[in-house]
This record gives sequence, C-alpha cells and structure tokens, in this order.
Amino acid sequence: MNAEHKSLERKNPFTPEPARIVRTYPLTDDVKFFQVRLVDMDKALLFKYRPGQFAMISVLGTGEAPFCISSTPSRPGLLEFCIRKAGTVTGALFKLKENSLIGLRGPYGNGFPVDDMKNKDIIIVLGGLVVAPLRSVLLYCLDNRDQFGKVSVLYGAKRPAEMIFREEYFSLKERGDLECHLTVDQDDTGTWKENIGVVTTLFPRLKKVDPDATYSLVCGPPVMYKFVIKELLKLNIPKNQILMTLERRMKCGVGKCGHCAIDYIYTCLDGPVFTYWDVLHMRELI
Amino acid sequence: MPDNKLKIGIYELTGCAGDALLIIDCEEELVNIFKAANIEAFLMAKSDNNDEVELDVALVEGSVSTEKELEELRKIRKRSKALIAIGICAGLGGMQSYFLDDKDWAKNLKAVYGGVEMIHAKALPSKPIGDFVKVDYFLPGCPIGKEQFLSTFARLLAGNPPELFRFPVCVECKWHENDCLLNKNILCLGPLTAAGCGSVCVNHNLPCVGCWGPSEEANRTAEYKLLLEKGYDPALIKNKMANFSGTSITQFFARLKGETK
Amino acid sequence: MRILKLKKADLYRFLEVIYKEADIWAPQKKGDKFVFDRVDDFSKIELQTTRTIIPPKKIMVPPMFNMFDFNEAGYKEDFSHISKKILFGIHPCDIHGLLTLDKLFIQEYPDPYYMGAREKTLILGLSCWPDEHCFCKSTRTNIIEEGYDLFFTDLDEFFLVWIGSSQGDDLVKLAPDKFDENLSDKDIQAYIRWQNDKEKAFKTEIDFVTMPDLMELKYKAPFWQEAGDACLACGSCSMVCPTCNCYNVADKTFLGGKPGKRIRTWDSCTLPEYSEVAGGENFREDKSDRLKLWYTHKLQAYVSKYGKPSCVGCGRCIATCPVGINVKTIARALEGEEVDAFWKKMSREVTK
Repeated sequence: MNAEHKSLERKNPFTPEPARIVRTYPLTDDVKFFQVRLVDMDKALLFKYRPGQFAMISVLGTGEAPFCISSTPSRPGLLEFCIRKAGTVTGALFKLKENSLIGLRGPYGNGFPVDDMKNKDIIIVLGGLVVAPLRSVLLYCLDNRDQFGKVSVLYGAKRPAEMIFREEYFSLKERGDLECHLTVDQDDTGTWKENIGVVTTLFPRLKKVDPDATYSLVCGPPVMYKFVIKELLKLNIPKNQILMTLERRMKCGVGKCGHCAIDYIYTCLDGPVFTYWDVLHMRELI
Repeated sequence: MPDNKLKIGIYELTGCAGDALLIIDCEEELVNIFKAANIEAFLMAKSDNNDEVELDVALVEGSVSTEKELEELRKIRKRSKALIAIGICAGLGGMQSYFLDDKDWAKNLKAVYGGVEMIHAKALPSKPIGDFVKVDYFLPGCPIGKEQFLSTFARLLAGNPPELFRFPVCVECKWHENDCLLNKNILCLGPLTAAGCGSVCVNHNLPCVGCWGPSEEANRTAEYKLLLEKGYDPALIKNKMANFSGTSITQFFARLKGETK
Repeated sequence: MRILKLKKADLYRFLEVIYKEADIWAPQKKGDKFVFDRVDDFSKIELQTTRTIIPPKKIMVPPMFNMFDFNEAGYKEDFSHISKKILFGIHPCDIHGLLTLDKLFIQEYPDPYYMGAREKTLILGLSCWPDEHCFCKSTRTNIIEEGYDLFFTDLDEFFLVWIGSSQGDDLVKLAPDKFDENLSDKDIQAYIRWQNDKEKAFKTEIDFVTMPDLMELKYKAPFWQEAGDACLACGSCSMVCPTCNCYNVADKTFLGGKPGKRIRTWDSCTLPEYSEVAGGENFREDKSDRLKLWYTHKLQAYVSKYGKPSCVGCGRCIATCPVGINVKTIARALEGEEVDAFWKKMSREVTK
C-alpha cells in the first residue's frame, strides 16, 4: 500500500465529545443562548479555536449540525452558541434543559484572520438574527483591546426585541474605547432611543475611516450583504479586507461529505469566513 | 407514577386498510410499540378505543370519500398535536381519487349506484386528507414500509420529526447495484418515485411501479418523453404514472394536454 | 519493479493459495453486467469484463453503513464493514479512482472508515480492453504506476504480473513455483504488441486540457438549462462514479431500548436536498446548478488542486444516465459540438 496509509490507531474525527449545557436562555422568540462545557475538563481547557470557527453539535437520537461559536477563545473553558430554531437538530436543542448532555466536536473552519487584523481598525456590521460569529470576534477584540486600532460596531435589527444581546451592545455604548451604533427597522415599543432605519443608514456616523488600515466584518441575512458591501466599497476598504461568514449545509465539518462545496472549495475547510474578493471570483458564493 | 407516554391514535378512512395491517404485521415490535406509547385508538388491533381523548400523534390512513369521514377527520385533527398521513390514499388520494373532474365523478356515481339515496354517508369525490386539514407529515407507500414506520415511530417518541428519503428510488437501486431497467427499455418508474422501499422490486428484476408515490422532484416531463422515445404508448405511460400519484398528477396531465393541443 | 510471468492455468491455483489469507472479491456476473462480489467459486470470476455497475469504492465505504452506535453513555464507533480483503480484477481506471478518493479522504482529517478499509484491502489489478464508452486514455488513467499490490496483464496465454508493494511480494512468495522470473523476448514482444493495440482500440476521446477553461467560459451557456430540464435528479451518476465521495448522515433510533445508529449513506449533489440548509433555503434549487457543481468537480476543481481531472474515464456515467447526461455529452456541449443525447433531443422538442 501507499506510504501515506499509515497507522490504524488514529483519532476518529467524527466522534462527538460529551458536553454539557451549562446555561441556556432565550435571546429572542426563536434564538436561544447556549453555554456549553466539554465534560472532560482537560479537553474543555485545551479546546483552542479562533473567532469565526464552528463546531458540530449532536443531539442524541436527533442528529448533528454545524454551529458558529459565539464565545471568544480569550475566555477558555466554556463555549457559547446563539442558536436560531430552524431545523430538526435546533428543534431538539431548544427542548434541552440545563445540565443536559450533548455531543460536540471541532473547532472547524478557517475563522477570522485575527493575526492579520492586529493593529488594524475594525468595523463590525451586524444584521438581524445571524450575529453569532461576529460576537466571538468582537469579544476577542475587546479582551485584547490594545492589539487593535479603532473598533466600530454597527448593528441593525428588525425590531428592538430582535436585537440579540441588546444589553451587551447598550453597555458598549458606554465604553469610551469604541464606537457602537444601533438601529432598528421599526420601533414597535415606543421606547427606542437609537436610530431607526436599515443598517446602512448608520454609515454616515462612522468617524473618519482609514480604508487601507481597516478590516470590515459583515454578518447578516443574505439580502443585507449587497447593500452593506456597497457602503464599504464607497469607503474604499480593500475587497480582501471585507470579511463575511457564510452558511452551508454540512454533514461532516471536515471536508469529506461534500455538501458545503462551492465551486472547488469546501466551506468547512476554506470557510466559513470569506473575503469579498473570494465572493467576486467564485461563482456560487452569494 | 404519572404516565408521560405519548398518546397515539391510528385511524382508517377510505382505503384497503393495508397500512393498519402493516403496523399489526410488525409482530415482535408490536409489543414495543404498545409498551412505548399509549395506543388510544386502533380499530384493527383493539376494541377499547377512546375517540375523545387528546392525542399527541394521530396516524390517518385512507382518503376522504364521505361526509362522515370528513367530519371524523376534522375531529381527529382537532384533538391531535400532530397528524400524520400514512399511505398513498391519505397522502395523495390513492387510486380512488383518480377521476378528479367533479362532473365525471357525478356521472360515474350515478352510473354505479343509480338513483340510490345514501343514508349511511353522503359520498364525496375522494380526496387526500391534506385537502381538508393540516397534515404535519406524510409516510408514503402502498402500503407504508415496516422499517420506515418503525423508525418514524421511534423518532416521534423522542420528539423528533420523521426523517424520510427525499430522493427517488434510483439512489437506493444503485446502492443495491442493480442495472438500470430504463436503459434496457423497460418501463420503470424509479426516477419518479420516492425512495424508502429499498428498491425491492428492481432487486428482484421487476420494474418500479411507483407505489411510494412521486418523489419530491419527480421529473415527469423528462420520464414521459423518454418513454415515448422508447416506443411506449402514451396512454400506457400515463396510466402507470397515475396509479399511485393520486391527485398529484393532475397538474402534469393538464400541462400535457395543453402541450398537445 | 519486478515483473513476473504466470501461466493462465496457474491463476486459480495462485488465488486458491492466497484465499487462505483473506476473502477474495472479484468481478462476477449480475444479469448481463458485472459486479464486485465475494468469491465463493473461482469459476465465477470474470476475467474479461468491462466496468462493474458500481466501482470498488463500495468496499471502502459501503453505500449504507453504521458509523456509531449510541445511547446515553455516548457514541461508540462501528467499524464492522472493515475486514481483510483481496480485491482481484480491478482495472486501472478504478485504481486511479481509489487514488483520487485517497487524496480527499486523507486530507486534513483522515476518515477512519475509509482509511481502515483501504488499508485492509489488497489491490490485485487486472488489465482490460476498452469498449465504446471507455475513455481512460483521455484521462491518462489507462496506465497505472502506483496504487496496486499486484497487477496482472492478460496476454491470452499468460499473465505478466507487476509487483507493486511489499505485501504483493508476500503474496507471490506464498506460491513461488507458479511465477517465472525469466521473460523471453517473445513474451516482451507480446506485451508491447498488446499495449500498442490497446492504445488504438479507444473509440471515445475527450480533450480534458481545455475543460477547466471551458467550464469557466461556458458557465452560463444555455445547454446547462437544457440538461437540467432533462435531468431526472436520480443521483445514479454519482452512485456509479468512482470519484464521487459525497455522503449523508442521519441518526436512527429504535424501539425497545436498543442503541441508536448514526447511518452514513452515499449522496449526490444532483439530489434536491443536497445544498439545502435548516430553515429550507436551498442554494441550488435548480437542477442545472447542481449539474454544474457535478461537472465543476469532475472537469475543473480537481485540476486546479492536483493538476488532473477527477474523472478517470471509466464510462460508467455514459453507461448509466438514462437521459444521456454524462462526461462525454457535456464535454461535447462545452466544446460547442453537436450532441447526440436524449437530453438534447428533449430540449429541441420543448423549444419547438
């Protein structure tokens, strides 16, 4: 046989590690927060990951699905997920109570290039309910605040109730070391004091942008990308410094099952973080 | 100890009762079924049926073909959290819904029954249950499959929706390494038919007759034209396609009619 | 590399000896086609076969198998499909198919289900003769230089046997008297003649050099829609392709407290749910988009990564697709040539 096929004793990358739900509570009507810890404490502490990476979560008897990690590696031990109820696995996850056992494996994917982003200015643009991966990188920047330049956050939700981690963002506004602008499409509470309008209406509020020294990270529903990217290009931010995460069907997370293939790359290995340049030169990205 | 087992009812409307029979035919697993859930109603299997109790899951076989059945179906729906159509008749209407044109139906009814006044139940054109009430899931098959039923049942008990194959029989047929019958000019409906049967007919060198009903993306146009090219008679192809398609075939036939005009 | 001579009549005797080492799997008849199956009767081994219905990938990753048994205690891996096997009668294209799958299943995170079976399977290749669908000469997979333990070239009177690995050498040593180290000039001439004749026997040729560019340039060509309209989305092309690796995973539970199973099944990018994510959004709703992905992978993607197409020219898609969508007709359409296939005829009829 080929020299490549060596030892039989190898780790099975598909084996879910037992993990426990430490905390869970609803964030909106259909998004729930999960704090998870690997049962094996050593493995929990050694679980090294980059913001933007994802994990495969198994619910016993239901199945397995990929989820972006929304906690930051700068706070090791516990993993956090913001999960939107969408399919069978999430449906079962939502029914699980604290202290329930689940299976977890990972981390997978490329994640954000946090090393390249060091000393650069960061503009984070969030839209709607799909904000999990950017929470990870935002917390990472805050935990390592001195390693990054200016940090700005623009977050647009449909309604105040759909702004995930609303309180966290309000408290960010109190901090002096970053800009945070919030907006909702519609205020159905009558108590909203921030901007009303889509997320692009926040762009004029950004203080002077030095495009070449800026990384912009975008995450939201597909319709949002087009408009946000237009604004970022107007600011002259280079195409390969506009980063976004994409969602695809995945059954393995490790480049075997094929489902997340886009042209000739696999989202699970080469993504889920892509640059706008990737999007332009690959045919099927968005 | 409080009984938190799922409450399940199994009901039969117009059909051959083949699906209910299949459930009974699960033999050694039948004990497990009755152990794992409270079977509140199952006319074929027990006599103490409770037709008032609230159900977690109702399994309904057969199409609606009388006003009485319609009333019964609506009652079942009202007291069930989830309703599952089992078999082709419930899910698609079955062969009895083949003659869909209401005018033809009235004519046929008269031709068969003459002027007899129905006292027991007023007849309706036979239709799938989904035409009248919300159906949460559909287990296809004529009859449904044992393995599919048992695995669905186990998933329901764990609170999970059924996980059915969404592709055609051909995929399973290739898993069994059968040679394609269409390529031998045999009229096989595998490409149009939902998988789950394990391609059992083709495994025995018989063409697929489509008894699991149409697959999600059945490309009837392509298969029809392919069979025409192979020299098959249009009427024969249409009959074969219609057998287990119930009301789902009407649109296709209407389009064909439009094209040939 | 050592090359030995084996008398035709000695083949079964040799197989009988090595049969004691492991189960032998070889091409056998199924109807008028061939399948790889476990050998119980040597007389049923077919030496002059064209392609089997399904390639030998089924031995490494069966179409449907259990990855894990699970219960509250966790997930326990199930490797029961892995056992020591000798695969005899595998053609160069299919060996190339396995080499292609190796790359994918080894990269980054080795897949123990594939690799385990791969390592326990000895590959005894066998020469073949092209039929009208074979085009391995075009994919340059007609010749094999690695990936086998033994390779048998059938020269009518005798076999020339290439020893490709130490394990292959061990097999030969189990019956050393059957093999002859001395090849005569006549033997060598016979081989050269055979090879020249085979080169000329190919009836299907495809220019794969231009394919990556054509995939890019013709990505929006109207023929894709025509092929999509005719595609039965039956997945057969992927099931029979030696380099299709996609799979699905689903958890199965049972009544009566039996452990659940995590089942892995062959999948195809031509099937409707392939690119659908939770919530119902489908990135490739249109069949033509799915076909484009299939052909991007065969004709373009692998080329950009490994410098050759992931098509090995076995002709199975040509022999299998009921509507004639296959590497040959798609290549012809990409080249802008007339295509004689049902999918093309159907489109003419529709536009008429």
